[in-house]
Amino acid sequence: MLSLLVWLMGLLLELAMLIRAVAGKTVTKFPYFYAYVFCVFGVSAGLYILNDVTPASYYRWYWPTQFATLVAGCGVIVEILRHTLEPYPGAERVARVASLGIFGLTFVYVGLKARMLPELTPLAVTVELERDLRVIEALLLTSILTIVFYYRIEIGRNARGLIVGFGAYVGTSLVALALRAFLGPRFNTTWGVLQSGSYLFALTVWMVALWSYYPQPVPSGRTRLDDDYEALAGATREVLHSLRSYFRRTARS
Amino acid sequence: MTALIIYLLIGAGLFLFLLVMARRKNTPVEGCGEEFVQARHALRALQLGLLPANLVERIFDRGDFEYVTAESSREICKLFLAERKRISLIWVGRVRGEIRNLMHFHLGYSRFQSKLSLRTELRLALDFVLLLFACRTLQLWLYLRGPYSAPAMVGIAAGAAARVCRISEQSLAFLNPVASDSFQNDSTTGGAAV
Repeated sequence: MLSLLVWLMGLLLELAMLIRAVAGKTVTKFPYFYAYVFCVFGVSAGLYILNDVTPASYYRWYWPTQFATLVAGCGVIVEILRHTLEPYPGAERVARVASLGIFGLTFVYVGLKARMLPELTPLAVTVELERDLRVIEALLLTSILTIVFYYRIEIGRNARGLIVGFGAYVGTSLVALALRAFLGPRFNTTWGVLQSGSYLFALTVWMVALWSYYPQPVPSGRTRLDDDYEALAGATREVLHSLRSYFRRTARS
Repeated sequence: MTALIIYLLIGAGLFLFLLVMARRKNTPVEGCGEEFVQARHALRALQLGLLPANLVERIFDRGDFEYVTAESSREICKLFLAERKRISLIWVGRVRGEIRNLMHFHLGYSRFQSKLSLRTELRLALDFVLLLFACRTLQLWLYLRGPYSAPAMVGIAAGAAARVCRISEQSLAFLNPVASDSFQNDSTTGGAAV
């Protein structure tokens, strides 16, 4: 009964978000994010009807649709990256390279694991795949936040909401899926509550944060030093190297 | 079990980052202009306030201590040593702070550079961290062993910071006031005085 209530609340919130996005025209500012919400709404509504009409089909469709929403969830990362780092081409470049590295490493890891554990059932593979994709999302979010902190980039209200909502959902899902794989079916009830509870939390945060569009705060001035990066970085590096060698020599003496 | 710990650690790490983001104070977004002014301020503080040779010599010169030891009681000597230690620690702390400001200037500037090299950035990040770490080590050394325990290291730190200043000064040269006389002479008749 409680899970049905949470399900319905989720559907209502998603519908309200989509209506508000069209009315407030935020849909044009965050197209990938709203595509994700629309996808989740379609899947949830479809599964709700299936569960009511033919419960057997519901179980057949659950994991494939879950996987589809999971992939669509990458759109949220793209949106976070776009809105947080787009005004900073240098920082965005670092984030792009880091993201590609994370994708590459994770897929290599998943590929190796799949070759080493061929006896897994399709369901177990799907659960593990979901967990691994959550790992990618968590690592991507963490790397974006590291770059944001390192370069002291200000995050706007909309992007902050996207990050908090998605981060809380991804983090909770990852922990819950890991515990589920470890503890087995006895953890299923708690897993369901954690999963839907964190998603409801994320929806609420998104609803509040994206109610209106707030432009990302961007430093106003760009200076004439735009082309001097190589020279500045090279000179700074040279000085720092000499400093390090001085300190090393002193420590030895 | 190991996999579970790794997944839990990744999840916990993400929550930690979210917490830091939530508690983070808004960083100023005045733009590069503001960053340049701050960097200029840090440079001036280092060059005029913290790194002049006579000041560094004054703080770390053993001569003062030897004079006080010869002329005063033990209590006065102890007080002198404690005060000198406090001053030396403040000095290193300030130097470290201003180097950090210069680092922030570099980051504030490089984040806009589409031609940014990832390798260079990683190396620079590592170098800045190591230099700041060296300053911290010096701070700890002075705290534990007193103000006269590492004169060579103090000299090197001061020299190194001065070299960083020189490089940064070249980057910030355009902020130096340009001949204001030319403005005054260019005023048209009856125009506002500059």
